[in-house]
Amino acid sequence: MAKAAALRKPKKKVNPLDKDGITYIDYKDTALLRKFISDRGKIRARRVTGVTSQQQRQIARAVKNAREMALLPYTATTR
Amino acid sequence: MRHYEIMVILDPSLEERTVAPSLDTYLNVIRTAGGSVEKTDVWGRRRLAYEINKKAEGIYAVVDLQATPAAVAELDRQLRLNESVLRTKVIRPEMR
Repeated sequence: MAKAAALRKPKKKVNPLDKDGITYIDYKDTALLRKFISDRGKIRARRVTGVTSQQQRQIARAVKNAREMALLPYTATTR
Repeated sequence: MRHYEIMVILDPSLEERTVAPSLDTYLNVIRTAGGSVEKTDVWGRRRLAYEINKKAEGIYAVVDLQATPAAVAELDRQLRLNESVLRTKVIRPEMR
């Protein structure tokens, strides 16, 4: 019984971008991009966010552009 | 002609009212080169995520325009020469 619980399938994630019908990730949309960075300012992994690899690349580029323009932090030391 | 989007961060000590007209004089570079300015959007004062040149705030402005690559490069060069421009970014939104 305990063995079966250890082998449980992870829950399938819903793609947050497809769900909202977002096709273009804008670096100016910080509210959207903040969903894809951790509270320390790091970009969240794809296995966490559940987006496609193409979307992950677009998100990464948008976050990096936003960081250059000081819209998002490079590091957040909230500790 | 290509579609460009230019974002500028300006010194927060400027008067916000003077931003749009002074930005417009820079945009004459585009117009004389045969391009067209589609939209200028001054966001106003906004907190920076980190300090730039010891400043914690900046005045953001976004310009949408159609122009040749050379005209945009010249505009970007002239903006960078101005000391009240903290940062610029030129983006082609279709390039993704």
